[in-house]
Amino acid sequence: MAAETVKQKRTLIQWLKGYTGQKYLTTVLFLLIPLVLLVLFTLIPAVNMGIFSFQKRDQLGVSVEWVGFDNYVRLFTDSSYLSTFVNSIYYLIGSFVQQALALFIATLLCSKLKLTNVFKGILFFPYMMNGVAVSLIFRRFFQKGDGITNTEGTLNSILMMFGADPVKWLSNPDIVNFCLVFASIWRYIGFDIVMYIGAIQSISPDIYEAADLDGANAWQRFLYIIFPSIRPIVALQLILAIKGAVSVFEIPYIITGGKNGTSTFVIKTIETAFQYQKIGLASAMAVVLLAIILVITGIQKAFFKERK
Amino acid sequence: MKFRKLIAGFVAASTVLSLAACSGNTTSSTPNSNSSTANNSTADNSTADNSTADNSSTDNSTASGEKLTLTVLTHRTDRKDDGSLAEMTKSFEEANNCTVVYQAFTDYSTDVPTMMNTTDYGDVLMIPDTVKLEDLSNFFEPLGTYDELSEKYMWADKKMYDNTVYGIAHLGTIAGGICYNKRVWAEAGVTELPKTPDEFVADLKLIADKTDAIPYYTNFADASWTLVQWAALVNSASGSKSYETDILTSQRDLFVPGDAYYEVYKLMFDIFKDPSLHEEDPMTSDWEGCKKAINDGKIATMVMGSWAVSQFKEAGENPDDIGYMPAPFNVGGKQYAESTADYCLGVNKNRSDEIKELGKKYITWFVEESGFAQKEGSVSALKGSPMPDYLTDFADCEFFVTDTAPEGLVGVWDAINNDSEVGTWQGDAANFKIQIAEAAFAGEGEDKFESILADANAKWNATRDANADFKAYLEANG
Repeated sequence: MAAETVKQKRTLIQWLKGYTGQKYLTTVLFLLIPLVLLVLFTLIPAVNMGIFSFQKRDQLGVSVEWVGFDNYVRLFTDSSYLSTFVNSIYYLIGSFVQQALALFIATLLCSKLKLTNVFKGILFFPYMMNGVAVSLIFRRFFQKGDGITNTEGTLNSILMMFGADPVKWLSNPDIVNFCLVFASIWRYIGFDIVMYIGAIQSISPDIYEAADLDGANAWQRFLYIIFPSIRPIVALQLILAIKGAVSVFEIPYIITGGKNGTSTFVIKTIETAFQYQKIGLASAMAVVLLAIILVITGIQKAFFKERK
Repeated sequence: MKFRKLIAGFVAASTVLSLAACSGNTTSSTPNSNSSTANNSTADNSTADNSTADNSSTDNSTASGEKLTLTVLTHRTDRKDDGSLAEMTKSFEEANNCTVVYQAFTDYSTDVPTMMNTTDYGDVLMIPDTVKLEDLSNFFEPLGTYDELSEKYMWADKKMYDNTVYGIAHLGTIAGGICYNKRVWAEAGVTELPKTPDEFVADLKLIADKTDAIPYYTNFADASWTLVQWAALVNSASGSKSYETDILTSQRDLFVPGDAYYEVYKLMFDIFKDPSLHEEDPMTSDWEGCKKAINDGKIATMVMGSWAVSQFKEAGENPDDIGYMPAPFNVGGKQYAESTADYCLGVNKNRSDEIKELGKKYITWFVEESGFAQKEGSVSALKGSPMPDYLTDFADCEFFVTDTAPEGLVGVWDAINNDSEVGTWQGDAANFKIQIAEAAFAGEGEDKFESILADANAKWNATRDANADFKAYLEANG
């Protein structure tokens, strides 16, 4: 009996030492690390969130009650929760502007321009910065100084250099959301540009050469060569943009705290969870957000499949 | 070949390490976690040392081997960073042969409740207000009965359930006061402090006309907590020890004209709606900057608890200019001021008896001997301690401590407040305080103010009438 197990063990070790064994071992070991991290920090919390959304519970997790679909019912009957999605429209429109601008800059940077790498670096830099830092920069950028506790912000200082009057950017409910969208575009556009540059550079130079011979101008080259070649990337970017628009958080949270009509769904979720101690309801909100993003992704995929 | 083996070995090792780290993380949430057993074992080892140390002189005790380590969680990052907490604690460490380690949290009220999902939340800590009174026993060691402790300490009922006290206030404040710059108010010609909201607004207008100072600084950029300061005026304005309980039992609206809740926020609306009375752009106000400005006399007034007085005094060269006045409300000509407990110190119940004993000693020492409350210019929880000297303006004012909610209504106010999301003590973006301020800044009229409060009343009443505990209370008490 004992001898048999030793024999089995030895064959296992032998198999592991062989080529196929090594191949599987390496694959499994390499995959294990990301999988463990994924399960531990994404899947388990996500499943917990799903469970919490059917409970009435506070932050400490004591005296948990099962309430079935009550949280969802409240979410869809009390308009104060879903109405915060309205502000996502600003960011959605902003993200279309952002995509167009990114595509334009990427096309420019792929042409025969000097110092393109410097520009790439400058444009990508904001994306590498911490979102909190970016938000604090823009809080200062849009500041209206009173000369007593604080001085004029960057934007007003520049305007005043040209003789204009300083503006209360964040206090005016009509423009505050555009200011926040501007900050959001500034932060994320670098990533889009790099994605587009990567896609554009993968287009074979032969095609450009042929187009040149046929006498195509820059616009025609963009419309008939570049855009069709990078359509999958555009599709991906649009999905990311919509996902970003419905889940905006740190920029409005830090710059305005959601005041003055700038609150978003995620800010509302955080407040529900941590100011009003309704972890169950907040989990339900997070589940709804997840569902919305899944639906958007599905629609997008179906739409772009058809066009192929 | 050797190189490949090396790589394979490295990968295997790192995997095992990362797995070990992960499994370490997951087990730490079970009651018998690694760290707590580690704590227990050090505690057991030092038992003998400690008992001898207590009897003998302190010189001996420093020479004897292992010391107990007491971890204290605090929200006072400022006092940890400037070293004054450690400095102050030296006498306690020497007397009890232990080491006290302070862990300070900038965002105490959200970080610590999250930690409390495990058993690892320090040995002694400021009890977060998110812990419901009925849940206190799940987390904290009883410190004694109410009858016992209330003789010695103020606010002993703040963290009490079923007559058992789980926390003692590390300091207390005089709520319902307003910080102001005495020099500016005097320059404007104000000789007598206002006793009504109308007088208060009139005085602010005087300041606007006669001085260069900003009459009132809203701090609206940090509204999530700065506007909440206004909520502290309510009880004082009512002058009643049982104001909130009375609102519940009489089943009336939260906001009724002529009543404290309504009048406090009416005052806020009246100040905020007049652009000459506050800073130019409230959305970009600056909390750190305003401290120096009120010290320099560039800001005249702010509604802040008494805890802010010492910070305003320290911020510049004119500490004597900072004053603290009673809320401009009166009941039959008499002004009242509520004294309330700040965070209460409690002992983690998941620790060894050794640590728990030391934790209780620490709390006693902190409240009675450390002098922390006096240094902060606050009221000590120890009865009979001298009142801070900036309270001279409160000479004609009557101090009171709010009564405990009657049996059956404990926690009901908070439950209704949270469920309805009216949020008397919250400052979320949809909160009535923020809405009132935004309406005032936008120049909207009284009708908007009334409609915001009507909404809040409706939400409050609906939630109250659906609250099971409240129904039970009504049935039991007719």
